[in-house]
Amino acid sequence: MRKYTLPVVVGMLLLAFWLSPDAQEIAAGVAIFLFGMLMLEDGFRLFGGGRLERLLQGATRSFPRALGFGIVSTTLLQSSSLVSVITISFLSAGLITLMGGLGIIFGANIGTTTGAWLVAGFGLKVDIAAYAMPMIALSIVLVFQKPKGLRGIGYALAGLGFLFLGIHHMKEGFEAFRAEIDLARFALPGLLGLAVYALIGTTATVIMQSSHATMVLVITALAAGQVSYDNALALAIGANIGTTITAVIGSLSANFQGKRLALAHLVFNLTTAAVALVFISPLRAAVDGISSLARIAPDDFALKLAVFHTLFNMLGVALMLPVLGRLVGFLERRIAEPAPDVSRPHFLNEAVDAFPETLESALRKEVLHLYDNASEVIFHGLNLHRDQVYGSSDIGATVRASRDLMDVDIDDLYERRVKTLFAAIIDFTTRAGDQRLAPDIADRIYALRDVATGIVQSVKSVKHLRKNVVRYTMRDVGAVTALYDGLRTEIARIMVEIRDLGRADPEDRSALSLDQERAGIEEAARSTTRRVEELIRRGEISATAATSFLNDSGYAYGAMRDLIAAARGYYIERDSAMAEVERLLELDEEDIDGHAGGASPRPHPAEGRNRSVT
Amino acid sequence: MGVKKLAAKVADYKQRLEDGKASKIEPDHVEKVLAKLRRKQADLDQRLEETTGTDERERLERKLAVAKEHIARAEWLLAELG
Repeated sequence: MRKYTLPVVVGMLLLAFWLSPDAQEIAAGVAIFLFGMLMLEDGFRLFGGGRLERLLQGATRSFPRALGFGIVSTTLLQSSSLVSVITISFLSAGLITLMGGLGIIFGANIGTTTGAWLVAGFGLKVDIAAYAMPMIALSIVLVFQKPKGLRGIGYALAGLGFLFLGIHHMKEGFEAFRAEIDLARFALPGLLGLAVYALIGTTATVIMQSSHATMVLVITALAAGQVSYDNALALAIGANIGTTITAVIGSLSANFQGKRLALAHLVFNLTTAAVALVFISPLRAAVDGISSLARIAPDDFALKLAVFHTLFNMLGVALMLPVLGRLVGFLERRIAEPAPDVSRPHFLNEAVDAFPETLESALRKEVLHLYDNASEVIFHGLNLHRDQVYGSSDIGATVRASRDLMDVDIDDLYERRVKTLFAAIIDFTTRAGDQRLAPDIADRIYALRDVATGIVQSVKSVKHLRKNVVRYTMRDVGAVTALYDGLRTEIARIMVEIRDLGRADPEDRSALSLDQERAGIEEAARSTTRRVEELIRRGEISATAATSFLNDSGYAYGAMRDLIAAARGYYIERDSAMAEVERLLELDEEDIDGHAGGASPRPHPAEGRNRSVT
Repeated sequence: MGVKKLAAKVADYKQRLEDGKASKIEPDHVEKVLAKLRRKQADLDQRLEETTGTDERERLERKLAVAKEHIARAEWLLAELG
């Protein structure tokens, strides 16, 4: 079906141009208008930067604030579709709540009506092309500037200019068209007219993917007398229905929250449309009353259509507000949260690709998910219960008491809980690399990929330890048990420190504290060989066991270093200047060695034990 | 403390800043990090007071030494930025 759409549309356009050359101007006007909207979107993306995330989180703290944000943002961007896509992306990334998202969507429906006011109140009454030309001319100067903000403003100015130019050409086109053909002949009265023209409005919006473009077409056609006022009202109602189909299509690649929001949008618009169609007569009368109060001329049908458009969208919000709680309940029942599958990504989906902010945020959460899975595999690999270690006030004692075999297939756990998730993260970051991201965001995304790599490396290192951990710690066989318990304790301590770092208040958290652990690891690693030699000399450990232990300690310290490096990469300051400060202050390898060497060798728990192991 | 090495790192940072490859550090940024480091040191001091085990005490003393070095570096950096 899809492969026929393009040739059919092109064919229809060419036929229309052949039948009526004036149709070209209308079609070109629509195209220029849509192009303008795309440029506004580009301007927004360039200009938004990191502000968007902060703005959205602040704006969605309450439903009324979210509603206000939806109205203002759609008015400025002149696109409810763009606002819908932003909202679904941020909801999918877990950056805003469903209630906040609903507020934005409802507000967007009201904000989108300002487009009709712009055209009816301004576009039709002035020589709009006279404003469009200088805007377009000035915009190109800004677009070629280096600073992102200026380029963003340039694209936005160009977008607005093309919007105006598109309106101008649609206006001119319909005026010329009137001389050839009178579409008003096809006006349909009564219920039939309502239904047919609502369907036309829906279809037009789905084809053009823009209710804005449909409304501008309708208003310019109405002003040129090409469509009757009654039919124009039905077209406006149809445009509202058509716009939800865009949101539904956009939600197909979103997670369950994004789908819930799209369904809410559909429910809202269908309900509003149904009410408007049923109560069209009282609404008309209300429009006449409001227009009279606002001193709108009785025959200014374009402005009255704008009044109608705003009125019936506000009516929709008023209808939904009292049942908002029930709507959320319905959405949660209809689209249930899927049972979390720890081996599948929770946050990475196509919807979060839309914006750099959602992309980075989703990736951060997914990397944390990976770490959560990996820590479980690490603890089980060391025959430790994660919760027991995390709740312990004496980690060494907890480790020494953990002698029961945890019967787990460590390779299977790794494949299911770590490798699949890691593959999804690598795939996601590779796709992100194909986008034109700002350098600082790209750096942070690649840094997160490196964090994920470090986590996986640490798990693979611990996998190597498993066999001998089981062999030498299931029962206390003397010095070698103490040595392996020592490794288990040190790894467990690192995991606890990382857990504590994650739980710390962001105001207190600093990745620099991990330098303390780094010094501890290097001190332990340095003293390992010395201690093992001492134990061999005393006959407390065989050479075979010593070799196994030295080999395993290499893996263990490697795992610890990978975990520390991953935690540093993850918890480095998000503010780039503060991150620079941390980089300047952090200790390098030589400094760490200095601290590791500075500590006097402490007696190892294995020293002084009499039993030897072969 | 390794002032020379820190000075070299700062020189490298300034070069990157000139090349537009680094974010500008203001004294306020260093002060915020310094405040975190001091809070961490205070926490370690308290834990050291409450701990009796030899191994644990040695571990905390090593962590404290690192924390104090970070603070000394941060204070030097703050003075350097003026």
